[in-house]
Amino acid sequence: MPVRVRLLALGEVPPRLAEAVLGRLPPPYLGGEAGRLDVSLERCYDRQRAQVDAACLIEQVAAPEPGWVAMGLTGVDLFMPALTYVFGISAIGGRRGIVSWFRLRPEESGPTAGPLLARRVITEVVHELGHAVGLVHCVVPDCAMHRSLWPEGVDLKRAEYCPACLATLSTLLG
Amino acid sequence: MTTAVRILVVDDEQHVRNSLATWFREDGYEVATAASGKEALAALAREGTNILLVDIKMPGMDGLELQRKVRELAPDATIIIMTAYASVETAVQALKEGAYDYIVKPFDPEEVSRLVRKAAERYSLLAENRALRERLADALPTLVATPGGAMASVLELVDRVAPTDTSVLITGESGTGKELVARLVHAKSNRRFGPFVAVNCGALAEGVLESELFGHERGAFTGAVARRRGKVELADEGTLFLDEIGDVSPKVQVDMLRVLQERVLTRVGGNAGVPVNFRLVTATHRDLEEEVAADRFREDFYFRINVFTIHLPALRERPEDIPILAQHFLKQFTSQMSRRVAGFSADAMAALVAYPWPGNVRELANAVERAVVMCRGDQIEAKLFPFAAAPPASESSLAAVEEAHIRRVLASCSYNVAGAARILEVDRVTLYNKMKKYGIERP
Repeated sequence: MPVRVRLLALGEVPPRLAEAVLGRLPPPYLGGEAGRLDVSLERCYDRQRAQVDAACLIEQVAAPEPGWVAMGLTGVDLFMPALTYVFGISAIGGRRGIVSWFRLRPEESGPTAGPLLARRVITEVVHELGHAVGLVHCVVPDCAMHRSLWPEGVDLKRAEYCPACLATLSTLLG
Repeated sequence: MTTAVRILVVDDEQHVRNSLATWFREDGYEVATAASGKEALAALAREGTNILLVDIKMPGMDGLELQRKVRELAPDATIIIMTAYASVETAVQALKEGAYDYIVKPFDPEEVSRLVRKAAERYSLLAENRALRERLADALPTLVATPGGAMASVLELVDRVAPTDTSVLITGESGTGKELVARLVHAKSNRRFGPFVAVNCGALAEGVLESELFGHERGAFTGAVARRRGKVELADEGTLFLDEIGDVSPKVQVDMLRVLQERVLTRVGGNAGVPVNFRLVTATHRDLEEEVAADRFREDFYFRINVFTIHLPALRERPEDIPILAQHFLKQFTSQMSRRVAGFSADAMAALVAYPWPGNVRELANAVERAVVMCRGDQIEAKLFPFAAAPPASESSLAAVEEAHIRRVLASCSYNVAGAARILEVDRVTLYNKMKKYGIERP
C-alpha cells in the first residue's frame, strides 16, 4: 500500500529543501505535500541545555489521516532528556516524526555543503519515515534504516531501504 | 538490530525512562521500564531481563541496593549504572560490586549505544558459550578413551594446560579431533566465558586470510566498503584457534608473530594499533619440525606457537577405542535419523577394528552414518562398510594403491568430493585431477 508524506516546516527551512526531499523519496512513498506547522518551539525549549526537547516537540505534530505520514522538518538542536542530542525522533508505527538538520550541517562551507546537507536530510527523513511506519534499525550498513550517530555516518547510507526492510514494509503496510 | 535481548530501564524520572525506551526500541530491543527498585524486581521476576540500566539515585531502594538484589535473582543479567556527575563515586562502588559499566547523564548517543551493544553481544556470547558447552558434552565421548590408553594421556595434558594461558599446538592426522581438543582447552580455561574463534588457515588464500585474521579498514581494497574487525580482534578475552597453521604463508607467519609478541594488531589498510588479548591454540597435520628444516616454516614462529604440544594419536594406533566410538556414533545417528538399529554384528565390528582408518575418527563417523542409512535389518553387517566389501588389496604399483585408496575413501563419503578431499588431506582440485587421471566417476 503506497504512503504519502506530509512534510511540515517547524520554523525556517532552507529554500527548496522540502521540495528536494519530496522529489527524492524512495518506494513505498508516493510523494506528498509540503506545508508549515505553527508550533511553539519556546514551550519545548530547555534553557539550561539550550536545546529543544524532541519528545515535547513531536507531541505537537498531529497524527495524519490514513495513508499519510507527517514528518516535521526543523533546524533547531534536538535532544531527548537522557541523551545529549538526536538527529530526529519518531513514534514507531505512529505515522509521525521530526528531523532536524542542525547537527547534519557539514563542517566546511563551500559549493558542496548545500547538496551534502540536502542529501543528509533526505536520508534521515527516509530513516524517520521508516520508524514512523514501523521499521526498527537495520544491520545493513548502507540501508537508510541503519543507525547513524554522527553526520559522516549518514553519508555512508543510501536514501532508500535494503530488500529486507522493503519486505518488512510490505508486510507492515499490507 | 537485536531482537532476543530484553532491556529494563529503571529510573524514577519518567522522561529518562521514556527517552531511553524510545531510543533502544528503535534498535529492535524489547524494552520495559520501571520507576523504582521495587517495580524493577517485580518486572524481573515476571518477565526476566538481560540488561538493566539502573539509575543510582532513586527514592526508596537505590541503585546499589537494587543491584545486590538483582545479582541474587538473576546472576547472568548485565547491569549498567546511570549516574549524574555528583554520584560518580557511588557508580564506581557499583562497578566494584559487579556492575558491567556506568554512564553519566545526559548520555552521548554514541556512547550509550556502544555500551548497550557490547552488553548485548556479551549476553549473546554467554548464550553461545552455554550452547558450546552442551555441544561439547555431546561430542566428548568421541575423545573418550579406554582407561590407560593413548587418549587418556591426551585428556590429562588438556587438564594440565587448559587453566594456564600457554600457547598450545595440537598435532595429529586429519580427522583425529584436533578442533574438539582445542574447544576442550578453551572450555576448561579461565577464558571460557570469552569467545572461541576458529579459523581454518588452510582453506584461505594469503590475502583473504590476512583480512580474515586482522580485519581491514574501509577502502583497504576493492570491495572493502566498511571497516571490519578480524578474527584475532573478535577473539579478545577468549581463545583463537588457528587450524592448519602449517599451511600459512611466511608473510602471515611474520604478521602473526608480531601480534603475538606485541599483543597489538594493525588492520589491513590501517595505521592504528589495536590492543588484543587472546590465548592461541593452533593445530596442524604436518610435521612442523620437518617444515622448519625445509625452510617452509619460520623457526621463530614455530617456537612461539609450540610452547605446549598435544599429539593426537591416529585411530589405527588405538584400535581398542574403535568399538566404543562405533557404539557412540551408532547411538548418535540412530537417534538423529529415528532409526532402530540394535548394534553391530561380530563380523562388522571385526571389520571396523581391522580397518586402518586413514581418515581417523571423522571417517569412522562417516562410515557408521552411511551404514545406518543403508541398514535394513536390526543390526549393521560388515557388507555395509565399503572398505569391507572391497576386494582384497592386490595392487602392486603405487598408482594402483593410490587409485584403490581414492575409490575407497570416495565410496565411504558417498562420493562427496569435498569430504573425501578432507580425509585424503588434499585440496578438491587435486582430487578432481586424480579422479580424472584414474577415470573415477561419480556413480
